[in-house]
Amino acid sequence: MVYLMADTGEIELIKRATHGDADAFEVLVNDYYEVMFKMAYKWCGNQRDAEDITQEACIKLARGIGGYKGKSKFTSWLYVLVINTAKDWYKSQNRHPEGTELLEVVVAEDPQSDQKLYTRQVLAEVNKLPDAEKESLLLVMGQGLSHKEAARLSGVKESTISWRIHEARKKLQNIFGKEERYG
Amino acid sequence: MDEKKLVDILSDDHAPDVDENARKRAVNMSVAAFKTAQNEKNTQTSQGTSVFSRLMGIGNKKIGTPRMEQQIEKNKRSKFLYGATATAMALVLIGGLSLTQLSDTVDRYEEQGVASNPIEQSKDTSIPKERVANLGELFASEKDEETTSDDEEVAPVYVEAVDVQNEATINEAVGADIRGVPVVKDMTPVPIETPTTGRDVPTVEQFADRLRVGKAQGLDSKSKNTEVDPLHQWRVLQEERLSTGTANVLGKNVAENKPSFLHPIEPIHPLPEYHQNRDKFEKFTPSSFKQVATDPVSTFSSDVDTASYAFIRKSINNGELPSPSQVRAEEMINYFDYAYPFSGNLSEPFKPSVTIVDSPWAKGRKLMHVGVKGYDVGTEALRSNIVLLLDVSGSMRAPDKLPLVKSSMKMLLDSLRADDTISIVTYAGRTSVVLKPTKVSERSRILTAMNILRSGGGTAGAAGIDLAYDMAERGFDKRAVNRVILATDGDFNLGTKDLGELKRKIEAKREKGIFLSVLGFGTGNYNDHLMQILAQNGNGTAAYIDSLKEAQKVLVEEATSSLFTIAKDVKFQVEFNPNAVAEYRLIGYETRALKREDFNNDKIDAGDIGAGHTVTAIYEFVPVGSDAVTMDPLRYDNQTVTKAAKPAVGQNEEYAFVKVRYKLPQGNTSKLITRAVTQNDYVPMLSSAPCGPEQACTQATHDLHFATAVAAYAQKLQGGHYVGDFSYDNIIMLAQSGKGPDPYGYRSEFINMVRLTKSLSR
Repeated sequence: MVYLMADTGEIELIKRATHGDADAFEVLVNDYYEVMFKMAYKWCGNQRDAEDITQEACIKLARGIGGYKGKSKFTSWLYVLVINTAKDWYKSQNRHPEGTELLEVVVAEDPQSDQKLYTRQVLAEVNKLPDAEKESLLLVMGQGLSHKEAARLSGVKESTISWRIHEARKKLQNIFGKEERYG
Repeated sequence: MDEKKLVDILSDDHAPDVDENARKRAVNMSVAAFKTAQNEKNTQTSQGTSVFSRLMGIGNKKIGTPRMEQQIEKNKRSKFLYGATATAMALVLIGGLSLTQLSDTVDRYEEQGVASNPIEQSKDTSIPKERVANLGELFASEKDEETTSDDEEVAPVYVEAVDVQNEATINEAVGADIRGVPVVKDMTPVPIETPTTGRDVPTVEQFADRLRVGKAQGLDSKSKNTEVDPLHQWRVLQEERLSTGTANVLGKNVAENKPSFLHPIEPIHPLPEYHQNRDKFEKFTPSSFKQVATDPVSTFSSDVDTASYAFIRKSINNGELPSPSQVRAEEMINYFDYAYPFSGNLSEPFKPSVTIVDSPWAKGRKLMHVGVKGYDVGTEALRSNIVLLLDVSGSMRAPDKLPLVKSSMKMLLDSLRADDTISIVTYAGRTSVVLKPTKVSERSRILTAMNILRSGGGTAGAAGIDLAYDMAERGFDKRAVNRVILATDGDFNLGTKDLGELKRKIEAKREKGIFLSVLGFGTGNYNDHLMQILAQNGNGTAAYIDSLKEAQKVLVEEATSSLFTIAKDVKFQVEFNPNAVAEYRLIGYETRALKREDFNNDKIDAGDIGAGHTVTAIYEFVPVGSDAVTMDPLRYDNQTVTKAAKPAVGQNEEYAFVKVRYKLPQGNTSKLITRAVTQNDYVPMLSSAPCGPEQACTQATHDLHFATAVAAYAQKLQGGHYVGDFSYDNIIMLAQSGKGPDPYGYRSEFINMVRLTKSLSR
């Protein structure tokens, strides 16, 4: 198996966990909780939902860690797991991310800055995008994956990812304007 | 909308800090789910036809119903055997059964197992005796391993699936268990043909405990392997980990790569047993009388800590008498403020005052009070740069811990100046900077930072100290007091460091001018010993905060003393005159004793004195000629010669010579103050003219009475070997005569505490 990760300790842990070592799994989930939580938070924008989703994702990870074959970065794989969990979770709750808290936090950090206000508006709009577009946008822009990688992880064609990103950006541009494009 | 900007926004981390409770909940639940999933996998593999077919390379096939039933029967039976063997192991451990008895037990269970399964009767079911013998050897070897390497747990092992076919295999599996053979140590993927189960292998103790758990739940041993709720099992394991103090969860190979996981994870709801008394105190024996002829010099380091007193008060108020090792007489005496005459100045911060009185508890003995009061800088306080290092681990959740820490720290904030700097660092499973160096004038920001503190997670104490020192260096002010204040219940994980390394670090920072003080909170796992070590090496005080009132005393009224050191490495040396004193004994300071030669060695660290601190040492001595001596004089001593050469004990005869060494806070060479103690220092009031409503006393008299009462009380709590039949009532009377104005009510509180102790000790 090829593990595309630098940290040998992590690889070791993942290997052990995939082979059923509960202690290793515990370390792993403890270590990655924060990463997963931040991923979930990016998706839903409020702490309470993010915690619930992360917990759900951890349980999913427990059942599905054997599914990780080391073909992609573990974090990328995890990202998709978290996003899928988030989608399912909202579906089961029959509602959409509220994202209110996200705005508050950003504002609270530095009330004077216009830049923060802008950030908060952009994030709010990203939150309103359809799930598929949001997912692609977060994978490519947020996680820095190539369209190809994102496509493989989401189980769609590369062109679909490109299309979604294009659509998402178009929507955002409609709101925030094009004037800043080369600025 | 610029792409770069969008990327910046989306990849930026806006998430709040992880809530440790949520993390723990998720980890607990997922680990439980993981175990359940693994167990399910096991059951699936065991549905394969047999080991034989697997050895032949035939995969798991769907099998017909009758075969399946047989298989289930076999499974049940083998689980039973597995349980029986486990019981036997536990019995060997607990009751120390002989090996023959063990094999008998296994045989008996064996017969039952066979009887319940007629299909297997044709097979040879007897256990090879040599395997049982091996089992015993393995126990022995395991025990050896345990004693040699405490911190190294057995690496997880994959054992044969439970559906083993014969007893030999079971024994092998159990044997592998005990040996802890790291079957998959190199982590190469296990070939599919090998039936692995991923069962995590408990240590023998854990095994025994699981049996207990199984029984407690009304399950018999044979069903425990599958029917005990994995989450529960996990919690049990977690608690064991906590209670044994082993934070090392994994085998060494993982631990080396992952030092960040050296902290235990607390269960979500700590069970009551978790709070069983695990307070750690350094053990010592109360000092006994020494003969001046053979041992005329007594040397000790100053101690202005008060932790012991507050801890004892808490204990007594909870209706428990403290254990003798929790009683440090000097810390009890020094808890109170005494008005020693010399006020001093910054360059000469104190001078010893000495008073001699008759011992109230033993006729013919005398008490020598040696007291110093540090110069009080008062309100013209220096600037300070304070880093609060707060323990926010799961164990701090109790109301007398983190909530009290928060209120206490707010009080501290009140006693700081507006241009002082404060920063907050917390540690739990991880460390984080809650507040970067901030001016005290930005009060609302500081309060907000404190209010959001929540408890949960491990105790990465050493890592927390590192981070706190970083903050202290950031806000370092040469002209200010730079101090890290650690607030903890004593659960303090050293992580990758050993204690020596931590001590060296604290010492090195102390040399740079950053001091460390410790505030202890809560009971249950209070590690007093470690707290003392930390504070003593960091030129700081160790106080114990059991109530808001105590926080008020330590952090507001005594804020200047706690924060501003006016003298460091303060050492006392008293030389007794063999012509005047036969025997002496220092009350308290057992843990602060120094070697005689350390007194003049400036490299040897000792205690510090803060602004306005008082330090009191009380010696009990027997003058020459008194019949209260505890030891016979030496027959071959040349005292007769000296006696002839010197006059008998007269008015100007010296009892002793007191020397005090100290360094100024910035200095590295010590200064020496000396004082001779003569008959003139004798004050004849304790026994003859007690203070009372009829007779007005000076504060000095009050103090003398009160300090003596506290000394008597401390000794009573230690077992009262030297106070004769001096009763709690005597102590109360003495303390009352020494109560004086008592503006804060501390002395009245003491008297009440003695009353309570009296009723407890009946």
